[in-house]
Amino acid sequence: MALLEEPIKGVPVVKNYIAGEWVESKGELKDVVNPAKNEAIAKVPISTREEIDAAVEAAQQAFPDWRRTTPLARVRCLFRLKELLEEQFEDCSRIQTQEHGKTIDESRGESRRGIENVEVATGIPSLMMGYNLEDIASGIDEYLIRQPLGVFGVIGPFNFPFMIPLWSAPYAVATGNTVVIKPSSEVPLSQRKIAELVDEAGFPPGVYNLVNGGRTVVNGMLEHPDIKGITFVGSTPTGRDVIYKKCGETGKRVIAQCGAKNYMVIMPDCNVQRTIPALMTSFFGNTGQRCLSGTVLCVVGDDAFCNRFLNDVVDTASKIKVGYGLDESIQMGPVRDAKKKAEILGYIEDGIKAGAKLRLDGRKPTNLVGDYPETCFLNPTIFENVTPDMRIAQEEIFGPVMSVIRAKNLDEAIDMANSTSFGNGHAIFTSSGKAARQFQYNIISGNVGINIGIVAPMAFFPFSGMKDSFFGVLHTQGQEAVRFFTESKVVIQRWL
Amino acid sequence: MELNTASEAISFSRELEDESAKFYGNLAQKYVKGEEEFLSFAKENNKNIVQVERVYYGVITDAIEGCFSFKGIDTDNYSIETKLSESASYADALRAAIALEGKITKFYLDAAEVSKSLMADVPRVFEMIAKKRNERILKLKSLL
Repeated sequence: MALLEEPIKGVPVVKNYIAGEWVESKGELKDVVNPAKNEAIAKVPISTREEIDAAVEAAQQAFPDWRRTTPLARVRCLFRLKELLEEQFEDCSRIQTQEHGKTIDESRGESRRGIENVEVATGIPSLMMGYNLEDIASGIDEYLIRQPLGVFGVIGPFNFPFMIPLWSAPYAVATGNTVVIKPSSEVPLSQRKIAELVDEAGFPPGVYNLVNGGRTVVNGMLEHPDIKGITFVGSTPTGRDVIYKKCGETGKRVIAQCGAKNYMVIMPDCNVQRTIPALMTSFFGNTGQRCLSGTVLCVVGDDAFCNRFLNDVVDTASKIKVGYGLDESIQMGPVRDAKKKAEILGYIEDGIKAGAKLRLDGRKPTNLVGDYPETCFLNPTIFENVTPDMRIAQEEIFGPVMSVIRAKNLDEAIDMANSTSFGNGHAIFTSSGKAARQFQYNIISGNVGINIGIVAPMAFFPFSGMKDSFFGVLHTQGQEAVRFFTESKVVIQRWL
Repeated sequence: MELNTASEAISFSRELEDESAKFYGNLAQKYVKGEEEFLSFAKENNKNIVQVERVYYGVITDAIEGCFSFKGIDTDNYSIETKLSESASYADALRAAIALEGKITKFYLDAAEVSKSLMADVPRVFEMIAKKRNERILKLKSLL
């Protein structure tokens, strides 16, 4: 099948978007590499401290007027943005595939999930309402109003370059705050595209700002006194030890969504035919680079069921077509870069050394379709005879690696899942309501799947997380995001 | 070619609709007797594309198995013949249209069947189009 056309041509230099202007950075430039072709498709600046300060200042200056803009007028900008995102849906999706490597179906799914957050945020005139009670004492009324706080920082990861900043930014601006977005410097082009559409949608200058870069920009956000809060999605060490800690020290609000080690528990009564595709998507979708990916396949049941089930899993995984995601037939793209591939290979070596049985060896991308360098490609890997104490069963690999563990019964499966330090997106596959309820009740996981392999909450639900998967109180998306981005002010009034 | 991904299935559906629309456009030019009917089929084909794409782009998400939903569908089984010989009569044209509709209907039904437990909305629109195409077959037969 022919390749879909690439929207990014040449090697553009990415600029920052500050105070409604596209500004060239003085920072050094770094290549943005298409991992499928292993070639540079853009250059991104590592912006300086002065540049992040300028963006925060622009956001701070824009805040008073934007806050006074009526919620109705604010969401009209979002309605326009939503229209533009729909018009540019396919370009937005293909850019994700070009810069990240995911398949076109996955990119379109990401675009849809991102836009849904803009849609939900357009409901701010209702979502932001407070509440009241008359006569809390005779002749005295009490009510709560929600007010924006000021400037928020949004720090995005590499695995969902389009969608994840949209878990926060639309709610932040809809509630009257202003934002500074910092996308991952590995994948800055999706957010550049969104900023172009924000510009076209007519947001006032300074309401929405984009600063590219790395640690300097993050530190600039964390230390800046005018930034009232930060949303972050990324690794647990950075989320816990840097973002959460520093926000605590500086009194900022924080949402830090971090790593995971998700168990997919298979009960003997599951619908095998429907479960296998769900597992393929869960373990190997987005090339395993998502915090909701299945990583441990925990099979409950006797030897006959386990062997039969595992044979089906291995057979299906071994046929997954690997390649450039702009080829519509491709089912799994490359990992983001060679360094990440090396880390994944390190985990596979570690699993072998620890005594796990390599049932499907994906180290060599033998299923690669097309004439592409192998630099970032892997095939799916499946380990059998994994025990919960092994590194491959404990740590987040963030790649297309499945570790198969056996459990005697559901209780044991739940205990094993709960023994990991994470609690993000465990799931069970069963046709028993009783087993599903037991799982839902006892599993320590912010998001729980029942016959669903990727437990990604919709925009009108919070994206939850527990233990080392989440640091903060309120979550991104929906009503919780509205609460995160607003101050609750309670008024008690008596007219004499 | 075996299909795997939703994107492939949607593209193949678009290809079938486009090709058959062209086929009916040609028939309308050649056979005045069936012009109105053939043109309405071509127009409906374009509506079908819009409907399928609206549903696909509206529901595609990582909670469904977009890259693994169409296993077992081989496009070779649904290739359509859109060329008619110069000397083909009106009845020949109708028979060719019936054969073409049969192939396309089968594609939609088979694709709906394999993906229905995974994608829900796309199979539903596929089944709806298959139903309309079945009605076309009855209509074409009545013209014979």
